[in-house]
Amino acid sequence: MSPGKVAANSAMLDRFSRFCAAAAVVIFAAAEPARAQTDYYNTDSGRPLTIEDAAPTERYAFELQVAPIRLERTRGGVYQWEVEPELAYGILPRTQIEIALPLSYRDDGGTSRTSGLAGISLSALHNLNTETTIPALAFSGNVLLPAGGLGPDEAVFSAKAIATRTFRWARFHLNGEYSFGGDDSIDSADDDGKAAGSETRRWLAGIAVDKTFPLRSFLIGAEIFARKTRSSENNPEWNAALGVRRQLSPAFNVDAGIGKQLSGGERSWFATLGLAHAFTLRSLLP
Amino acid sequence: MQKCLSALSRRIAILHLIGAVIPQAAHSQWSTTHEQFYFPGKFNWAFRQNYPTADGLFNAFDYGHAILYERLLTKPNAEAGLLETDEFNFITRKLLVNPPKLPLEETAIAIDYVKIAPEATMMFEWAHLLHRQIYDVWADERLSVPAKDAKVLELIRYYKTRKDLAFSSLPKNMDLMEGQPYSLAFRKRYPKFNGLIWAYHWLQIGLYEPLIAGRNKDERQTGVIATVARFRQMIEQPPTWMPRVMPMTPAVAPLFAARYPEAAIIFDNLHSMHDVISDILANPSVGRDRKGAEISRAARLYRDSTSFLMSRDEWREMARMMGVENMGGPVRGFLAQFPAPTVERGAVMSHTGMPGMTGMQHGTATPPGTASAPPNMNTVAAPPAAAGPTPTIDHSLTSGVKELHARMMADPVIRARINADPTMRRLMERAMNAPRGAASSTRKTVPAKSSAPVRKAATAKKSASAPTTAKPKPKPQPDPHAGMDHGTTPMPKKK
Repeated sequence: MSPGKVAANSAMLDRFSRFCAAAAVVIFAAAEPARAQTDYYNTDSGRPLTIEDAAPTERYAFELQVAPIRLERTRGGVYQWEVEPELAYGILPRTQIEIALPLSYRDDGGTSRTSGLAGISLSALHNLNTETTIPALAFSGNVLLPAGGLGPDEAVFSAKAIATRTFRWARFHLNGEYSFGGDDSIDSADDDGKAAGSETRRWLAGIAVDKTFPLRSFLIGAEIFARKTRSSENNPEWNAALGVRRQLSPAFNVDAGIGKQLSGGERSWFATLGLAHAFTLRSLLP
Repeated sequence: MQKCLSALSRRIAILHLIGAVIPQAAHSQWSTTHEQFYFPGKFNWAFRQNYPTADGLFNAFDYGHAILYERLLTKPNAEAGLLETDEFNFITRKLLVNPPKLPLEETAIAIDYVKIAPEATMMFEWAHLLHRQIYDVWADERLSVPAKDAKVLELIRYYKTRKDLAFSSLPKNMDLMEGQPYSLAFRKRYPKFNGLIWAYHWLQIGLYEPLIAGRNKDERQTGVIATVARFRQMIEQPPTWMPRVMPMTPAVAPLFAARYPEAAIIFDNLHSMHDVISDILANPSVGRDRKGAEISRAARLYRDSTSFLMSRDEWREMARMMGVENMGGPVRGFLAQFPAPTVERGAVMSHTGMPGMTGMQHGTATPPGTASAPPNMNTVAAPPAAAGPTPTIDHSLTSGVKELHARMMADPVIRARINADPTMRRLMERAMNAPRGAASSTRKTVPAKSSAPVRKAATAKKSASAPTTAKPKPKPQPDPHAGMDHGTTPMPKKK
């Protein structure tokens, strides 16, 4: 990628990030709940926690992640911004498909800056059952296609199993994910910034707990998970995060989270903020 | 790449295998019900925008239903006060005063209940969505009346595309609600909370009336405000003015029921199933391990279009005979005072084998300490529930009064006296002209202390009407199901 293109991309991302952040702040500060569905209860990976629940997007619904921003700071003052607009659609009963375009901007403390598309992510999630005495179970598959300046050189596949169990006092989610494919020689953002924004982990396993305040349409959650990335050596990295989701209206919900890598070389921390919009198209309905 | 795809397919196959094995292991617990998005349109959420106060109440209602089921399921041995006092006071004094601004996630409230009845939960959600979307259509001032009609029909069609969730649009008779082994348990043990649920249902169907009847936005606004105010009045002195029988759409919302009979039937079936589930959960004879199965059975019966049916005419007739005055009163054109109920709280409408309500046999028992009617007179044993003058009516007296009137008027002296006294003549004429079931001259108004318990009020009423209900039963039962005698009314044939 030419320096000029990088600079242009950086400026664009910078403006976009500022706009998204401002919009989200305005929503948080000023929005009075006006009307609602209850999408806040259906958590998605990365919104705000990495560990998600087993519920899919409802049938015929589109869920557009308008401005999911993630800021990560690693040792040495390296900042990485990610914006990952994504669109999910409930294509079949208990089944959703999703496309995401992760955009990444990395600032190594003034010495170098890289930005660009970090691949194209396609995924599908299928929920096996509604929770009864049996936990809700789901599985999902994802492929990160090699696209963009920061995307992987080869497609990376992952498969995930999800379980959700609800108790009167809290709800628990278990996720286990395994990735394969891609170029094992790629280290996260270490080789010319490649795959800086993409999920290049080898495996991930974790648990999240959330507590719902239904009268306020508000959910607070925490998670801890271990993952082994292609760049990490023998020991997995441990991460922890806290997050909230809140329904603003029937069509909009917001989320925010903070987290920290507890072990491993980077010991980074991150903050995330997102806004999701639900809608459908008449022509797709029966 | 090929290697990766092959590995991915292997893993997916394993997951599918797990998914296939688990259901066999726990077939009855395996549920694959799913949510579906609401019908889109510019009318979406118009009711919320134009009538936020009323809309907020519906959010609170969601909580009321959810917490009721959760408490009944998870605390079966709790004192009745848990629902009748604690939850009731929270709902009426806090939640309905300051209702949530957003619809609630009921699965986060009725956590255990939802696990045993996921399909029923989804059925309610789907039907509630239809409820709200019809409000939206009628609240959208941009739509003409023909456009509203077309849109509502489209909503009903969309609702019915979910055959696994849609209530039957054929009327279900009262035997399904009141003639099952578990029936009536909830209304007997929790009369106040039951009254609250019925008041919810009164408002839910009643709000269509001002929206349809209003000729412009101002009239609709006024009508909705008045209806909401009436609902609040209804819960002021619980359970005095709360409905005594399940509000039925043809009686409470006649304009709506005439315009959209299918939707009205769906909503009556919806509200009826709410009661059924309350009964299943409240009845200790249905063990915890069987409650889910009974709820699933009831849900299936409310979805099918073959069982427990009655015709539309029978459905309308049943609503008329049950009497709007027993359902919380009319939505439009009401007076400051509530109309006098004519039946006992929680009166039973079935039991004699009729498809509809089969004679509304309510006079099977009377409260303790009250005089009872002769066997051939199913007189009302209805006590005024609590506060205020709560007149009751003795329908079966009508024919007796008429006979008495005829005999008296046959006597020339009495006839002359009555004719000479305008007041007496007017009273007589009113008594003779009173329609059956309408509270008029046959009422016995009994002033009751506001703090008087139900049974005390009942006793007071009965002693006041003692002359007309002469013969006391040797052993009166505490069953509150007393009421009207419609034995002479022609009833529809059983399906």
